[in-house]
Amino acid sequence: MTTAGIIANPISGKDIRRLVAHGSVFDNQEKVRIVRRLLMGMEVAGIQRVLYMPDEYHMVPRALRGCRAKVETQPAAIRIYGDQTDSTRAGSWMADQDVGCIVVLGGDGTCRAVAKGSARVPMLPISTGTNNVFPYMMEATVAGLAAGLIASGRVSHSEGTFTPCQLEVLRQDKVVDIALVDAAVYNERFIAARAIWEMEKVSQIFLTRARPDAIGLSAVGGQLHTIEPGEPRGLHLRLGPGGRSLMAPIAPGLIAAVSISEEAFMAPGVPVPVTTSGCVLALDGEREVEVRQGDSVAVQLSTQGPLVVDVGRTMAAARDRRLL
Amino acid sequence: MSITNEQMIQMFTTMNKIRQFETRVQEFFADGRIPGFVHLYIGEEAIATGACATLRKEDCITSTHRGHGHLIAKGGDLKLMMAEIFGKKTGYCKGKGGSMHIAAVELGILGANGIVGGGGPIANGAALAFQYRGQDNVAVCFFGDGAANQGTTQEAMNLASAWSLPVVFVNENNGYGISCPTSKSMAITDIADRAAAYDMPGVVVDGNDVLAVYEAVSEAVRRAREGEGPSLIECKTYRWRGHFEGDACVYRDENEVQSWVERDPIRKLEEKLQEQGILSPEKSREIRDALAKELEAAVAFAEESPLPSVDELEEDVYA
Repeated sequence: MTTAGIIANPISGKDIRRLVAHGSVFDNQEKVRIVRRLLMGMEVAGIQRVLYMPDEYHMVPRALRGCRAKVETQPAAIRIYGDQTDSTRAGSWMADQDVGCIVVLGGDGTCRAVAKGSARVPMLPISTGTNNVFPYMMEATVAGLAAGLIASGRVSHSEGTFTPCQLEVLRQDKVVDIALVDAAVYNERFIAARAIWEMEKVSQIFLTRARPDAIGLSAVGGQLHTIEPGEPRGLHLRLGPGGRSLMAPIAPGLIAAVSISEEAFMAPGVPVPVTTSGCVLALDGEREVEVRQGDSVAVQLSTQGPLVVDVGRTMAAARDRRLL
Repeated sequence: MSITNEQMIQMFTTMNKIRQFETRVQEFFADGRIPGFVHLYIGEEAIATGACATLRKEDCITSTHRGHGHLIAKGGDLKLMMAEIFGKKTGYCKGKGGSMHIAAVELGILGANGIVGGGGPIANGAALAFQYRGQDNVAVCFFGDGAANQGTTQEAMNLASAWSLPVVFVNENNGYGISCPTSKSMAITDIADRAAAYDMPGVVVDGNDVLAVYEAVSEAVRRAREGEGPSLIECKTYRWRGHFEGDACVYRDENEVQSWVERDPIRKLEEKLQEQGILSPEKSREIRDALAKELEAAVAFAEESPLPSVDELEEDVYA
């Protein structure tokens, strides 16, 4: 039975960046509507069964009540805590069930959480978060079609997916966490409200990708270079006075002045030390790792990021072979 | 988030003060020594503490019937609070208000409130006065998930936004309105989602993380002071005790309670402060011991204070 997964994060798009910036608002009902369109596309593309992350809002069951998609559904057999570990455990459970593709509704942080649990299952990320560099801002009907084409194998992984780079956080030389887009050394002692927005507190930035039209920290690197997701190189920036000054949109509606004192490309597998102690490491825009005095922490680029569906290539392959 | 070690230790102290006070009130109620009802704040200490730590003395708060924590965090005197709960003449309301009506206008505490959703219009009134006088003070309206469904709360949020009032609506979503789970009383799960309807920012924070609450409310207070209008902060939390003391809690199971006890906001903060070398175990013990003494003094004060006399029955009645 052709099976796909849906992980719709009910807590994405609701963090403090609605207060300190002008982050978009995705209420859960909008996510339900996105899931409906997704299901319609999945059904047409041949998905028969959908496994989903359960949540308090019952997004997938609500979506089914309002559309005609005829797919069998089953909630993931995981305990829900209402935090990002739900997405990681749901991804891991779905990988164990051999789903052919997982569609993720969330922002960069949600995609990172899912990747931690299911890196080898093709992920199709749809943006419903805040700083959205990793997920696509796209129509869910098309995402559903593409997910179905990949999950059913009618479009192969080699035709319709790619493996981007990711960042690995090393503590005492052991990988303790990952980031898909950016890692930042933030001069705060606590994780607290998670998001980062005060650039004067950022001393180092690590990037897997950079584009001049990006949002978030990736936009800072994007003012210097373009690095595409599949390229086996990253960018390390050290912030401080005396270097190049630029302006970058570091959050929705928030454009900040940044001074780059040092820049260097990152090669895969070469750790770059975090040179501040008593700070936190923000991963994909959220404070995650507390770095205490005496900790030895570094960040390295890895070419083994999560498998991601390239919607354009997938749909083109379907067109070329008249699959739809 | 600019916060000093001293401020963090102060927040740890306030949370413990609330916990000790509420635990003592719980014991007194069980012994039948307190008249009326009490609604305890145990498990939710991080919200009042984090929110009030962002305020000045001249800022105002409106509270709920679960109000002891808010009052303590805003500077309420334990002696006067305990005396009021005992119904004594020396209490904040001369013993005539009890737990659900404690007010101390001189501290900006515009009252606990027996009316569910009663605080919003009062907070708006205070905020309108600040705005009218050209002061940069703010009003914080604490309200529960039950109050979130009351017309008064929705009307208050609408008007606060329409008039760009300096109000911060701090929702304490503990999952239950009395015995009714929010899944049965609301079509949505995140009260913050409603903010968009009033064109104000709405955010969700972990209500058991005092630093997360502090950081979010700080930003909302900054906006309000700078004339940018109201905000809605939804703090996800849980009350360890029943809706009121004596509530048999048949509507929830012990595993659920236990899962939240494991997320104890005080222990969470204590661990963080100890990891960072900000608070030693000895200092933590000292703080708790000092609070216990302060509480004993408050209890003695309440016990030794007289009850109001019958002659005073009609005094201070204004409505």
